[in-house]
Amino acid sequence: MSNRKTITFAFMDPPFENERTVTFFRLLDAALETGANVKVFAYEGAAALSFALQKAHGNAVHGRNETDEDHPLTKNWIAALQTKAASKDLQFDWVNCGLCVDERGVNECISGCGRGSPADLLRYATASDNTLIIGTR
Amino acid sequence: MSRYFFIQSQDIFTEVRTNAQFNLAKSLAKKGNSVSILLVQNGVVAARKGARSAQMDALLNDSVTVLADNFSLEQREINVNNLKPNIKVSTINVVIDALLNGDKVIWN
Repeated sequence: MSNRKTITFAFMDPPFENERTVTFFRLLDAALETGANVKVFAYEGAAALSFALQKAHGNAVHGRNETDEDHPLTKNWIAALQTKAASKDLQFDWVNCGLCVDERGVNECISGCGRGSPADLLRYATASDNTLIIGTR
Repeated sequence: MSRYFFIQSQDIFTEVRTNAQFNLAKSLAKKGNSVSILLVQNGVVAARKGARSAQMDALLNDSVTVLADNFSLEQREINVNNLKPNIKVSTINVVIDALLNGDKVIWN
């Protein structure tokens, strides 16, 4: 049985809007780098972080095509973290709040992310060594 | 004694609530708890040597450990040599260390 510790994160910011999102992903990466299992409960706007239909785009105003723009997509960041976790034999669980998903029409999430409810946050926190709640304020 | 670790993303100069946040940290320290604060995002702005912030200066005079996130400093081109005394530069890994140590970690 693994004696690795587990950290739960709850996050509610949407993609592409706030610096908190970058800090949140840095924390997830740091947790995996340290060798901890990670559980994420994404609610409110964060339910769109794993939305599979996110698309990169160019920026005609700046004369850059899609490749030049290299627009970051949070779904790709999540996938990269999933890969990192797998390479370190760590768990990386991700549940989106179902109501939040429905409200925003972002049901199609990438593989490895699922649909749940606030009860999952309780389940995650109970099964973890510690929990960090990152509110919008 | 408990261990508290605050992640301070809010900026003293634009968020009034930082007054209460810093007062809570100071109160916890005065009660004998171990209190650390990691400044991240715009929270690092008040760490600059020339920043006029009585709140930050008071915090640094108390027994609170104040750290500044290296990434946030670099983003804002704040040189480590231009920080107030008693502020140490850190990576964000300290948050994970605190969580794994069982600290009460609070996002501000």
